Amino acid sequence: MIARVAEHCFWLGRYLERAESTARVLQVTGTLALDAGLSPEQCWMPVLAVFGERARFAGLHGAAAEGDGERVQHFMAWEEHNPSSLLTALSEARENARAIREVVSIECWEAINEVYLWMHGEEGRAEFAQHRYGFYRHIRRAMQLCLGLFRSTMLHDTPLDFIWLGVLLERVGQTARVLDVHHHAFQQLPTGQHQVVETSLWLSLLRACSGFEAFMKRHQGRVTGDAVAAFLLFEPEFPRSIRYCLKSAHRYLAELHPPGTQGLPGARTEALGGQLLARLRPEVLTEPGVTIHGLLTDVVDATAAVCDSLSSEFFGSARALGSQSMSQ
Amino acid sequence: MRRRDVPGLFDSYTVAPGTFDELFDAAGTPRPHFTRLAGLLGVQSREDFARFQALAERALLNQGVTFSVYSDARGTEKIFPFCLIPRIIAATDWVHVERGLEQRVRALGLFLDDVYGEQRLLAEQPELRQFVLGTKLYQPQLRHVRPPGGVRIHVSGIDLIRDEQGTFRVLEDNLRTPSGVSYVMESRIITKRVIPEVFEQARVRQVDHYPARLAETLRAVSPEAPERSTVVVLTPGPYNSAYFEHTFLARTMGVELVHPADLFVDEEKVFVRTTRGPRRVHVIYRRIDDAFLDPEAFRPDSLLGVRGLMRAYAAGNVALANAPGNGVADDKAVYAFVPDMIRFYLSEEPILAQVPTYVCARAADRTYVLEHLEQLVVKAVDEAGGYGMLMGPQSTREQREEFRQRILAEPRRYVAQPRVELSSCPTWDAGRKQVAPRRVDLRPYILTGPQGPWVLPGGLSRVALREGSYVVNSSQGGGSKDTWVQREVA
Repeated sequence: MIARVAEHCFWLGRYLERAESTARVLQVTGTLALDAGLSPEQCWMPVLAVFGERARFAGLHGAAAEGDGERVQHFMAWEEHNPSSLLTALSEARENARAIREVVSIECWEAINEVYLWMHGEEGRAEFAQHRYGFYRHIRRAMQLCLGLFRSTMLHDTPLDFIWLGVLLERVGQTARVLDVHHHAFQQLPTGQHQVVETSLWLSLLRACSGFEAFMKRHQGRVTGDAVAAFLLFEPEFPRSIRYCLKSAHRYLAELHPPGTQGLPGARTEALGGQLLARLRPEVLTEPGVTIHGLLTDVVDATAAVCDSLSSEFFGSARALGSQSMSQ
Repeated sequence: MRRRDVPGLFDSYTVAPGTFDELFDAAGTPRPHFTRLAGLLGVQSREDFARFQALAERALLNQGVTFSVYSDARGTEKIFPFCLIPRIIAATDWVHVERGLEQRVRALGLFLDDVYGEQRLLAEQPELRQFVLGTKLYQPQLRHVRPPGGVRIHVSGIDLIRDEQGTFRVLEDNLRTPSGVSYVMESRIITKRVIPEVFEQARVRQVDHYPARLAETLRAVSPEAPERSTVVVLTPGPYNSAYFEHTFLARTMGVELVHPADLFVDEEKVFVRTTRGPRRVHVIYRRIDDAFLDPEAFRPDSLLGVRGLMRAYAAGNVALANAPGNGVADDKAVYAFVPDMIRFYLSEEPILAQVPTYVCARAADRTYVLEHLEQLVVKAVDEAGGYGMLMGPQSTREQREEFRQRILAEPRRYVAQPRVELSSCPTWDAGRKQVAPRRVDLRPYILTGPQGPWVLPGGLSRVALREGSYVVNSSQGGGSKDTWVQREVA
């Protein structure tokens, strides 16, 4: 396929996944804030930290506003100058889809275009003001619809592989950062806090990764911080666990560059993906000096390296990527 | 005159005096081919129709059937205003139009072959020679280059109008990159969805096979065997106003849409950059003007285009649709000579009428034009989209004086035509929630392969939405209608 088209496919997948993830995190945090017994800062600051937007937010609203759930949500939903906001993600997703309008099926395009128009019209604003939960649900469903339509209305060949690579690599980054920030924040809670509070925090983290029910099925109600972290890192059958996503992504990379192929691009990317996957075993946490935070940092950095390599091997480095060069 | 026998939608419809109405005669009676539909459409209440109209617009927006607006830095897209009341063409009228268009396109193709070959007609007509060879649209480096497959005008859109008597007249030949065919097909889809009961009764000829015919036409001129050929659509990119159309064509033909930067030329062959390395391209349906095709051949200052493309074309290794250099045949001054071309190359009389045209480069014509500015429409030959025009009957003394000076200074740049009263068609006026007569033109699309021309039964009816306006261009507030060519009744 055309190199430029592959790049748009990849970013289309990433932005759709990013929008879904952002909406989910905001939705879950809004619910958590109702009865978790945490201060507003303890609820909302992690949201900004997950998306790496604390500094930008502080620049616009002052650091003290981190406890203002409304401002944080507004910033994460509507702020044009926030590259992680829903508004930006939906605009970028649509821009990428429009650039490859001949590649995405009409059903996918309509789904993307409609949610974009909804977000940019009065309906989206009204829903945000009057029914916050419905607002996030609308976006999440639209994104899930798009991902489903890709699978069921497009040829399962290279363009879809690149879309799916975008989805999976974005998902790795999102899960890693959500887990890292929350894990860190929960460790900071004053000791002696009620067990119920702590449990509800871990559960909200699972919900922020759409993993509550899947986790319960695996662990039958026994919730501990380490079990949640291990589940989101390694669970081989949960489609948002880091290992699951990396393994799937690596399968696509291997398809683009089958073993023994010479002359085709993709060797380096395939190797980088394979190396990261090899490091990511549950046993690694028992090794001396390895912490969850350290492992997650490694995942985020190595995933970024895979994305950079993908870009230079498949998309052609001559082209300026503009706003799309934003790394994780 | 009030209409009482058709209730509802057309209740207070009045034909504009002195105008040929497409659907009603001067007495306000539906024309024979419109009688049944006038009944079906006419029973709709205005409220219902307003809702249908809103549904149609919403569908166009959701599907992204839009054109980009250049003036807006954020790249806003707008839907091309669309009126759900169709423009209907009787089967017998269409037969005449179809034959006339085929004849015209054949003659224009032969003319282009001649211009870039022996120049027989130019030898006989020194005036025409001056027009053709003196314009920047003429590409001297393409002299004696035979395009792959022998076709030059693969896709044309020849604008037609109807005069006061209802006679179809050619207004303009578009032989370079005529736009709008995607709106023809998209508006048909919407119409079928929003008013299916009406459409079902209407016996309308299909248009949705156009992309398949286009793909076939393009493959037929490939330098490689059709089944092994790669066809692409070449777009300047998402900021081009016709980007929707470019994506539509690629999507419905199932071929790739490429930007100039996706292509490169090596050893006079064209390749596209893919994730698996370079792949050969054989046919390019290019939606980029000649001047931006190849910086090596045309504009050394341009960063756009594909370097070396014209060498690959001249070597016969890639087919370009439409052929570069076609602009010399759709120039507004050359238009005046098309009837002569038909007689010269085909030994036939022109089937379609055209608008009488005064060529200011001719002394007699110029004198007449300068004496009758108030009655004439003066057009600059090298401007498009309704710019650079003097609408004599509506002009001020200052405007006429300005054009008099311009004509005297550069007579070659101007032609003039009597103003034709464009026909009108009942059109939804959203502001007043009623139907009113609005001027229309028609752009049919003609595909030409090695076997000759084929006319799509339908076309883009453009409508001047403002009351009293004659300007139908989308850039100046025009809209569109679905064109229903009636099936012949067996």
